[in-house]
Amino acid sequence: MQADTPSTPAAANAAATLSDPERWVDEHGDYLFKFALIRLRDPQKAEDAVQETFLAALKGGKSFAGRSAEKSWLTGILKNKIFDYYRKSSRETSFTDLEFYADEENDRFVADGLGKGGWINDQGPQEWPNAGENLDKELFWQTYRNCAGKLPARVAAVFNLREVDGLESREVCALLNLSESNLWVMLHRARMALRRCLETNWFGKQA
Amino acid sequence: MNFWKKLKSDCAALSLDCCAASRAQSERLDHPLPRMTRIGLWLHLLLCKWCRRYGKQIRFLRHAAHEHQEDLAASEPQKLSAEARERIKRRLQEKN
Repeated sequence: MQADTPSTPAAANAAATLSDPERWVDEHGDYLFKFALIRLRDPQKAEDAVQETFLAALKGGKSFAGRSAEKSWLTGILKNKIFDYYRKSSRETSFTDLEFYADEENDRFVADGLGKGGWINDQGPQEWPNAGENLDKELFWQTYRNCAGKLPARVAAVFNLREVDGLESREVCALLNLSESNLWVMLHRARMALRRCLETNWFGKQA
Repeated sequence: MNFWKKLKSDCAALSLDCCAASRAQSERLDHPLPRMTRIGLWLHLLLCKWCRRYGKQIRFLRHAAHEHQEDLAASEPQKLSAEARERIKRRLQEKN
């Protein structure tokens, strides 16, 4: 299915809309579903988000030269659907989950006496030599995924929006109906937990 | 108290401990730190290799997550079920 130089605009339109939707589902369905599942943590919601994405894409009536441009575009639509979901669901319930991981923040440090506030002996960060070389290993990403999966849903949402999607603090707060100070506490705990999980399950095991 | 003793004592007072330093290094990724905290953090990092590592590692994780969104998504084992796939295709055909 090409997207270049059709004979007439009408022919192009017909060609583009006829087989695109089915092809989109086949080529991008899995990726979009996985993306949504990580964010929404519920297969049903993820399926719905994917369906909404394709429906919106259909309305858009675009066609792209190149699979990866198409994938980016669809992912962009999906992200917005996910943001809409967050906006809606955080209006209904309070989003803060500050009890989670209070220990994460505190139990790694000496509580009292000499060396108060310092890393407890073997809890301190270890060396991660050549960390960057791990980024092209599938197994590394599975480990990362498992570690991120252990974060409570709300903390994970905050982490995804800020670290993966790169939204500003302000934007995350608006989406999730959070105060900035709560946001920063949640991010701090997420980063601590993720770092430690990856150290235990990956970096600590490298020869 | 002599000048150097006072300076040393002031630095010690300003400097953060590891717990506060890891919190500061995290927040620094999200917003500018107040000046005194910045100075306290800098002082602490001069002396604490653990916290220097911590900062490097959380910045690495941010970079990894942000630059490798596709790898991250692809690592999710569950796929779109065949049934959902068909359902979505049908729905799209209705709309087309």
